[in-house]
Amino acid sequence: MSRRLRLALPGAALVVATFVAAALLLDGSDASSSPVPVVAPAPLPLPAPVSAAIRIPERAAPLPDPDNLSRWLALLRPTAARAAPGTQAPVLARLTPQTPEGTTNIVLAVGDRLDRAGRLWLEVRLPVLPNGTTGWIPRSALGGNNFVRTRLVVDSSRFTATLFSDGRPVFRARVGVGQPRWPTPRGVFYIRNKLTSYRSPFYGPVAFGTSARSATLTDWPAGGFIGIHGTNRPDLLPGRVSHGCIRMRNADILRLAELMPLGTPLTIL
Amino acid sequence: MDDLTLAELDRDGALYAAVETISGSRADLLRTAAGGAAAFLGLLAVPARAIAATATDTEIVNYALTLEYLQAAFYKDAVMMKKLAGEPARAARIVGAVEAAHVDAYRDVLGPKAVKRPRFNFHGATETQRKFLRTAIALEDLAVAAYKAQIPLVTARPVLATAVSIHSVEARHAAWMRRLFGVVPARGPFDDAESRESITRTIASTGFVARKPRMVAQAGPRFTG
Repeated sequence: MSRRLRLALPGAALVVATFVAAALLLDGSDASSSPVPVVAPAPLPLPAPVSAAIRIPERAAPLPDPDNLSRWLALLRPTAARAAPGTQAPVLARLTPQTPEGTTNIVLAVGDRLDRAGRLWLEVRLPVLPNGTTGWIPRSALGGNNFVRTRLVVDSSRFTATLFSDGRPVFRARVGVGQPRWPTPRGVFYIRNKLTSYRSPFYGPVAFGTSARSATLTDWPAGGFIGIHGTNRPDLLPGRVSHGCIRMRNADILRLAELMPLGTPLTIL
Repeated sequence: MDDLTLAELDRDGALYAAVETISGSRADLLRTAAGGAAAFLGLLAVPARAIAATATDTEIVNYALTLEYLQAAFYKDAVMMKKLAGEPARAARIVGAVEAAHVDAYRDVLGPKAVKRPRFNFHGATETQRKFLRTAIALEDLAVAAYKAQIPLVTARPVLATAVSIHSVEARHAAWMRRLFGVVPARGPFDDAESRESITRTIASTGFVARKPRMVAQAGPRFTG
């Protein structure tokens, strides 16, 4: 027991004894004797509670709906993508943390699994030939989760590009696709970067890089990746006019750049 | 299991796992951890500002905002991942919404003086239920200890009232997550405070604070055209 507490106890006991004695006196008194008034000391008035500096809402707003989401992640280091989750599985492709354009290399997640050692692996779409390849990458080689609600669908028969957000169409444009000898590949891909401020009227004001690759122009510089970009020949659209890229009018590509986040899944029909 | 301390979580839980799995080499690991620490310290070392209170109060609010960013991002990530089931899923939605409200409230108070929202990489801690709960306990305990250290230093009473009102909510969150994991909600009759330096070191060691990916370039396209 502290010294301060020991010193305080006799005083406290005296106060309690006084109140007990007063209570006994009241209880023991008969009707004829004059009552002994016992008045409890009035409590000291305390100030009102201090108002907080924040605007306190009635309820917290709910978090966004987790449906209709796609997830992409950045590669943190050179990584082998394997045919199955596990370090013994065959290597399908070796990925670098940078794209040929110098941006961060990203992958679109389509599944996950724990290996026998309890390590988490992600199945991801790979930017390799043959198009549509998926592989397994250890979760530890990837950055934070990024989510998008959008999906771009390019119909190479009808020459249209439609952007969906939460399943609803929010953008539609007529496009040009690959000529028959350099067809635009079909399948599910993703948007992996955006290039701006370059001086090439051929590509228009903005160009998106995708994970799709030409199956015919395999020796094209930087690997023959398929882009989505503007054009200095809008008179050729729509139609089969390109080397595989998806072209649209400059006003359309600028509008798409406002609406479409990077990492958006791309379906080419 | 009677109790679970932060040290135990750090020893074999998601926090340490996150550090171990950042890189294949120790040099890379140290470099990454140092980068994360520097970035986080940079966030906390913003110039003192004045919001109808002392510069120290503003610094404390920005520090609290940074912790709320971390917590809000963690629960939102877990909800988006949809890997939780049952009561932990419900708790993540509710607590995540509350942490987001704390972020909004602090940003409202600080206005343009609010520190920027960092990017986070939770290294899979939101992707399994067990890792989620362990990390949630660690983050809530950290927040409670951080508030406890800073509240006595606050000068302006409205700021003090704000911090106290949020501190008790964080303590409830910590108790809720502890119950869901099967450990006692409170370890003892008194809780310890933890300094900003200590909190910052712990968070930096997890590698949860990440670099922003570079997604836009000014390079000329070399696509097939």
